[in-house]
Amino acid sequence: METATERASVNVAGCGAVTALGAGIGVLDESLRKGESGLFPVEVRMGPGHGMQRLVAGRVPESVVDRACDRLPEVGEDRAFRMATMAAREAFEQAGEFLQRTPSRRQGLVVSTTKASIDALERWIWKEPVSEAALARVQPGRFARDCALALGVTGPVQCVSAACISGLLALRQGAAMIQRGQADVVHVVGVDVLSAFVVAGFASLKSMDPEGCRPFDRRRVGLSLGEGAGAMVLMRGDRDVPGTRLIGWGISNDANHLTGPSRDGAGLALAMNRALAKAGRPGREVDCLHAHGTGTPYNDAMESLAFRTVFPDPMPSVVASKGALGHTLGAAGVLESIICVRAMELGLLPGTPRLGELDPVAPASMILKPTPKPGLRTIMKVNSGFGGTNAALVFERSHR
Amino acid sequence: MRRSVVAAASYLGPDGWGNDQTGLHPWPSSLEVSAHRGELEGIHWSMVSDTDPSRFARMDPMCRLGLMAVEILRVDWDSMPEERRAAVGVCLETCVGSIDTDVRFLQTTRPSLFAYTLPSTLIGEVCIRYRLKGPALCLMGVVDDQSAALAEATEWIRDGDAEAAVCVGCEAVDAAVAASAGLPAGVWPVGGRAGALWLTEAEGAHPALGPTSEPVIAMARRLVLGRNSLAAV
Repeated sequence: METATERASVNVAGCGAVTALGAGIGVLDESLRKGESGLFPVEVRMGPGHGMQRLVAGRVPESVVDRACDRLPEVGEDRAFRMATMAAREAFEQAGEFLQRTPSRRQGLVVSTTKASIDALERWIWKEPVSEAALARVQPGRFARDCALALGVTGPVQCVSAACISGLLALRQGAAMIQRGQADVVHVVGVDVLSAFVVAGFASLKSMDPEGCRPFDRRRVGLSLGEGAGAMVLMRGDRDVPGTRLIGWGISNDANHLTGPSRDGAGLALAMNRALAKAGRPGREVDCLHAHGTGTPYNDAMESLAFRTVFPDPMPSVVASKGALGHTLGAAGVLESIICVRAMELGLLPGTPRLGELDPVAPASMILKPTPKPGLRTIMKVNSGFGGTNAALVFERSHR
Repeated sequence: MRRSVVAAASYLGPDGWGNDQTGLHPWPSSLEVSAHRGELEGIHWSMVSDTDPSRFARMDPMCRLGLMAVEILRVDWDSMPEERRAAVGVCLETCVGSIDTDVRFLQTTRPSLFAYTLPSTLIGEVCIRYRLKGPALCLMGVVDDQSAALAEATEWIRDGDAEAAVCVGCEAVDAAVAASAGLPAGVWPVGGRAGALWLTEAEGAHPALGPTSEPVIAMARRLVLGRNSLAAV
C-alpha cells in the first residue's frame, strides 16, 4: 500500500460553511471558540393534514438561505441547492489565486448528500407547486451536475450517497481524483436539508432526543437532526508548503446490521487502522479524534470501544460537534472535517457542545469546552452510518 | 502495481437473467409481460437461487434486484476465508437510487421502509449476506451518463485498498409506484435491471481490465449475452 509520502500531496485550499450557527467560516470560527450550539426547538411541517412536528434541531435560519442566490434559473425554493452553492462559493473565494489560474476542465466536483432536494419530492407528492428543475434534483446525480454547472466546473463530477459517511467518502474521492491525475482542484460539497421526510424517518426509529442531543453524555438518549452545507476545495499541493493536507483514509463495513452499529466497534476500528496505514502515521502522532458522536446510546458506546482498540494508551483528545450543528447527514462528514481544519488553523480543541456529564464508558480524554492547543498538528475524523458503514480520514497541518 | 480482471459477470433485466457461464435465461412466460412493463413485485429469490432467502422479503425492489445480481455471480463465498472477505470491496452505481422507496415512504411513513430510502443500503445488504468488510462506495450518476464505479473498484485493487471487489449497478422503479406519484419518466425510467461484476487481481490467461467508463449494467449484460467472453474484456 502506498503511503502519504509516496503519493501526490492533497492540500486544503479553502472552506465554506452554511450551518445552524450561520453562514461563513468566520461565524463558524467564532462559535468554535465559544463552544456554542445551534440547536433550538423548531417545527417542521409534515404535509397536508399532518400538522407540525416539534423537535430540537439545527436549522439554518431562513435569513441565511435567502442570502444565497444563484445564476441558474428555477433555483427558487430549492434550499439544498442554494446552501450548497453558497458554501461552495465561499470555499472558492478562499482558495483564491491558484483556483483562478486552474482551467475549469482541470477542476472536479464531488457532491455528498443522502437525499439532495428531497423537499421538492415532498411538495410533488403533496400536490404543491414545485419546479421541474428542483424535482429533477431529487436525483442526487442531477443535483451534482447542476452544481457543476452553477460553479463553472467542467472536469470530472461525482455524487456520493453513502448514508452518514457520505461526506468523508466524498473527500476521499476528491483526493483520489487529484492523486490519479484526473483533476488539479476538486470542490467537495456536502449538503442535506431538514425535511418532513427525514424527520418522519428518524421519528419512526425513535432515535431523536426530545431535549436535543448530548453526545457521550451519561444521560444521552438520541440524536438531533441538522441541516447545512459544507464545501472544501482540495488541490494538488506541495508538502513543503505550510498548510493542511488530507493524508489518509480508511473505509470498512460492519457486515452486521442495517441501522445499528456493531456493538464491539470492530468495523470502525478497522477503518481507523486502514486510515493510519494509508497516512503512514503511527497512532501516537494523532493529537485529536473528531468523533461521529451522534448522541445515541449505541453509537457513542461503540465509538468509545473502537477508540480504545486503536489507541489503547494514551488516547488522543476526543471532541464531537453534533451538539453544535445537529446531525447534518450527507453534509456531516464535510462540515466536521472543516471543523478539524479550522481547529488546527486556530490552535484550538473545539470541545463537545451539549456534553454535560461524561458517560463512564466514554473516553476520559473527551474535551468538553473549547481549549487552546497551539501546534495542533494531526486530527483523525471518523463517521459511521446506516448499512454498517465506517470511514476515517487523517488531516495534518504543517506549521512551518 | 496490481491489475484487475473481470472474473464473473451477471445480469437481470426485462429480457431475462443469467451470468457469463449460463448465458441469458428468459423469464417464465407468466412473468415476461410484467417484467417488460416494469412491474417488480413478481420477482422472487427462488427464481435465481435455492439458497437461504433470509432478509429478502423485507427488502425494497432495489435491494432485491441488486442482491440477486450478486448472488447470480455464483462466487464461491463458502470457501472464502474471513480475512479475504475483509479485503473485498463493494462499489455500487445507480442513477434512480431509492426513489421507488422514497415515494412509498412519503405515502405511508412505514418505519420498516426508512432504511431502504438510502441507495447505499444495498451495499449493507450485500455486505451482511456475504460478510464483506472492505471499502464501500455508492456513486450516483445521471441516466445514460458515463460510469465511474468500475474504474473506482479497479483503483482499489491497484492501490491495495481491496484484494477483490463486487461492482453492482442497479436501477429499480416499479411502474405502479411511479404511476401513483406521477414521476416524470425522463428523470426516473420505469422498470428494473441490475448487473454485477466480480473483480479480482489479474492472474492466468485473462487480460487485465483497461480504462473504461462503461456502466456496470451495460458491461454485465454484454458479457452475459456473449457467454464465456470474459477473456475478451
